Amino acid sequence: MSNQKKRNFQIEAFKHRVVMDPKYADKTWKILEHAIHEIYNHNASGLSFEELYRNAYNMVLHKFGEKLYSGLVSTMTGHLKDIAQSVEAAQGGSFLEELNRKWNDHNKALQMIRDILMYMDRTYIPSTQKTPVHELGLNLWKENVIYSSQIRTRLLNTLLELLHSERTGEVIDRGILRNITKMLMDLGPSVYGQEFENHFLQVSAEFYRVESQKFIECCDCGDYLKKAERRLNEETERVSHYLDSRTEKKITNVVEKEMIENHMLRLIHMENSGLVHMLCDDKYEDLSRMYNLFRRVTDGLSKIREVMTSHMRESGKQLVTDPERLKDPVEYVQRLLDEKDKYDKIINLAFNNDKSFQNALNSSFEYFINLNPRSPEFISLFVDDKLRKGLKGVSEDDVEVTLDKVMMLFRYLQEKDVFEKYYKQHLAKRLLSGKTVSDDAERSLIVKLKTECGYQFTSKLEGMFTDMKTSQDTMQGFSACHPELNDGPTLTVQVLTTGSWPTQSSVTCNLPAEMSTLCEKFRSFYLGTRTGRRLSWQTNMGTADLKATFGKGQKHELNVSTYQMCVLMLFNNADRLSYKEIEQATEIPASDLKRCLQSLALVKGRNVLRKEPMSKDIGEDDAFFVNEKFSSKLYKVKIGTVVAQKESEPEKQETRQRVEEDRKPQIEAAIVRIMKSRKQLDHNNLIAEVTKQLQSRFLANPTEVKKRIESLIERDFLERDDSDRRLYRYLA
Amino acid sequence: MGVEKDRVKLNVGGRVVETTWTTLANAGRNSMLGAMFDENWNLTERESERFIDRNPDCFGILLDLLRTGELHIPPHIPEKLLYREALYYGLLDHVRAAKWGPFDGNRLRLSRSLQGQAPGDGTAIRGGPDGGCCVAHGSMVHVYDWMLEEHPPINLDYQRVNDVGWVDSDNVVIGVSERLGRGDGGMGLFSSHTGELRYKFHVCHDNQVKSYTAGALSFSSDYRIFSSCKGRSNEYGVGVWDQITGKQIDFFYEPLGWSLGDADKLQWLEGSHCLLVATMFPRKDNCYISLLDFRDKRMVWCWSDVGAPFAVDEKRVRDAIAMEDNNSICVVNEFEDLGFLDLRSSAATSLRWSSRSRLMKGKMPEEPCYPKLALHGGQLFSSMNDCISVFCGPEWVLTSRLRRSYGGSICDFSIGGDRLFALHSEENVFDIWETPTPPILGFV
Repeated sequence: MSNQKKRNFQIEAFKHRVVMDPKYADKTWKILEHAIHEIYNHNASGLSFEELYRNAYNMVLHKFGEKLYSGLVSTMTGHLKDIAQSVEAAQGGSFLEELNRKWNDHNKALQMIRDILMYMDRTYIPSTQKTPVHELGLNLWKENVIYSSQIRTRLLNTLLELLHSERTGEVIDRGILRNITKMLMDLGPSVYGQEFENHFLQVSAEFYRVESQKFIECCDCGDYLKKAERRLNEETERVSHYLDSRTEKKITNVVEKEMIENHMLRLIHMENSGLVHMLCDDKYEDLSRMYNLFRRVTDGLSKIREVMTSHMRESGKQLVTDPERLKDPVEYVQRLLDEKDKYDKIINLAFNNDKSFQNALNSSFEYFINLNPRSPEFISLFVDDKLRKGLKGVSEDDVEVTLDKVMMLFRYLQEKDVFEKYYKQHLAKRLLSGKTVSDDAERSLIVKLKTECGYQFTSKLEGMFTDMKTSQDTMQGFSACHPELNDGPTLTVQVLTTGSWPTQSSVTCNLPAEMSTLCEKFRSFYLGTRTGRRLSWQTNMGTADLKATFGKGQKHELNVSTYQMCVLMLFNNADRLSYKEIEQATEIPASDLKRCLQSLALVKGRNVLRKEPMSKDIGEDDAFFVNEKFSSKLYKVKIGTVVAQKESEPEKQETRQRVEEDRKPQIEAAIVRIMKSRKQLDHNNLIAEVTKQLQSRFLANPTEVKKRIESLIERDFLERDDSDRRLYRYLA
Repeated sequence: MGVEKDRVKLNVGGRVVETTWTTLANAGRNSMLGAMFDENWNLTERESERFIDRNPDCFGILLDLLRTGELHIPPHIPEKLLYREALYYGLLDHVRAAKWGPFDGNRLRLSRSLQGQAPGDGTAIRGGPDGGCCVAHGSMVHVYDWMLEEHPPINLDYQRVNDVGWVDSDNVVIGVSERLGRGDGGMGLFSSHTGELRYKFHVCHDNQVKSYTAGALSFSSDYRIFSSCKGRSNEYGVGVWDQITGKQIDFFYEPLGWSLGDADKLQWLEGSHCLLVATMFPRKDNCYISLLDFRDKRMVWCWSDVGAPFAVDEKRVRDAIAMEDNNSICVVNEFEDLGFLDLRSSAATSLRWSSRSRLMKGKMPEEPCYPKLALHGGQLFSSMNDCISVFCGPEWVLTSRLRRSYGGSICDFSIGGDRLFALHSEENVFDIWETPTPPILGFV
């Protein structure tokens, strides 16, 4: 309060301020402004860099940084406005050139201005967080030139027009385009995007929408794809010449979408030229193009795969269900192999060995091969055929190739145990009749099966080979032991281990007396060296060579089965024999006997017997005579047995039944194995695991598995949980 | 360019010097000399000599620097004068690079001691990436550039500073205590040049912004900032912010029976992508050290001395530092004994003390400071009383000892920008230790 009263005097503190020439800043700035003008006017040669730098330094030093900066902004803006005008005034084609020239001028000027103002750039600008000189120059160029209403749309349209005319086949000046797009990129990614790229992509999409519509109306699938491929390559090349490399992905996406994705289904299903047509005609080049183009778009490949899969399944299904094909198993399998080869080649040549396509192929084959329950039998027959005769004169490598292919088919089979059954039968026949062509090929196949399915799958097959070998040794021992037998009929015995070989109802027929004696001698020889064994004769499987002399003295050696031999031997003592008499004397089962007589009396050129009456079938009341007029060009005559190579219906049933019977213990074993390790498991999981374990051999039928579980419960291997009836427990 | 043409004559403030284009080219295009002799400015000018209106003595020193890459300042030229001239020519970075050599703890020389004007004890000192440093005293942080020029000081609501750190040479983050009921305090990002607050970091719990006390700080190379936080309603833990956006991106809450929010030290481990969090005595009664993995919000390793029997000569952990190359954590007690914890075996590992120096015991200074640890380029540093020890090799042998006579105990030290800064508890003095440039007859 007292202070107020005393406020009569005010003593100012003595301040001696250093006052600068008030016009100093203006004068200095004038010099710098003049220099900027001269630089823009290409007249910089008279300027002294040192002087300008020093002046700019002094302005910053004496706190005129703000004046310097704002002066720079307004001076540069003025020049850029002039530049904009001269660019706007440029006529037609010279527009871009003028713009480019002015851009180069501005860049050079900007560099020189920044040189002068370097001190400001280094000290004043960071502390005030203003835009550095170089960036400022670009921003001002953008605002005053590029965003000028007269230039902005004109620039865009000029660029798009040039691109359009290049797309329609004209030659344009790529150099100037490259410079202009480079300018836009220098101004920042957003400028390039907003002022050019976005519009470019939009216009391109429109262009390709129209073009693809036009193409798809008038071209077939192959031609269309060729055109699309060419367009894609063109765009990639365009980007590499004068656009930002990041545009490549975007523009190719546009082309992919407009030319491929939008027309995918139509292309695939195009009549007479679509995917199915290409597959049927093995058009590798077109398929490969389709693959490579469709790969670029989402779901492209899966569409191809779907259509290919359904086509394969459809044609495969036709093949395996065609009743014509069922007549010839070898042809049937050959067709399957051809089909497989065809698609393998397509996937290899056109689909880049794509794993997903290989999987589709496998699943398709698995699907349709198992549609026909006889596929396992047929595949075995095919192998049989190849190993009997088909491989004669074929190199070892080719044999391997064929066998590998067959193994491929084998892999698709669900019922591998059925195949095993048939294979065993066919192998037995081949071995016993000595029909097998190559021991190596046989063994190689066994090895393949072993690698595929494991030891137990082939152990019996291998047993069969061992039996053959042992029998040879045994026979040598036998003939060495009985040298006196050399004069009489020769007996060759193959001793087969029970269980290794396909079991056959062994009804022994009555052998001719001389043969029975021999057989007895062998029996005592065999059992004499090996104790505890039982020997029974499989007369239905043997063969015999007979020397026969006919009415006019024709001598022939007849190669016949054991049954046939028994029948023929009867005619040594009789001219005429009725069916009944033969049946009584030989005790051959009726069906076999009929077949045997058929082959002896009814096959043209091989009819060593004559039948009355001369009908096609064998009747109970028929009578048989030796055909005295029998003649043949050959000395050795093979009398074939009328055996259906393919199984007859009842036989099929029988095999089937045997397979089912064999599966039972396997299923049980699997159940016990699983329960032993798991101790307890619910019904569904148990079924699932059993199925999985047995997959490599056959597809277990859940009803059958259930039956096996019941049986195991009855036999106290398992028990049901008291509270949860669906839960099983293992009983140790 | 021929030999004759390579020559260039300069008249600097009246003194004519002759040099070559090639020498001047060492200044770089982004300098005054580089621009001056650029062809843009040079095509038509063919004067016999160029004039530069600057101090000729300093130019001589700088020209020598351009010629040889070495800096020799005669005693009669003040450093500040030279720096000013170097700034004019745009050669400050050249000067800095030539002033001291690459850091080696065993070759350090005391370069300068600086007296600050802040009252009270120092809290922390931090070396910046370009050789500057900042010193926290109470609620103020004083910032010095590499020329040791002081910049405007920093404060955040005048709250007590707990930790400070350099994000880069232009930005400093400080963490301060909260002022109850006012929402002041927390953590802020400042310009190291102007001292201006650029960003204040917030903590949210349940989508509500809460005030907090920011403790120790750490930074990761992927632009994250970590800080131990104490909230008002027991919201303790470690917060994570994005350095670019300033937004909080994560929060690791303190588990029951553990300590994170009070931590004395955070250390980001680039190799294992984990954060070391250490709370030491006397902040808490016990010591808690843990490694946090933020990716799956897990504490991947922890150690504590809770329940450990303390003998008569209590060995309390006073600082800890993780050494990723050795898969271990080094700790130190108040007698400057070093201890090691194995990071490979999880938890419950026993602390292995290397009984090195018992000599200290019984002759502690009047105002003791707790030992601190630092690791740089495979060398381990620990401060004790008025000196700093340097340890090297796999067995961490004591190889050097840095000591200065006055200023009292060292309360904090830091290594950054190839310099070591040590802050004394008395008289508010800090020292700058540098490695001299390599000897003339040396091998590069």
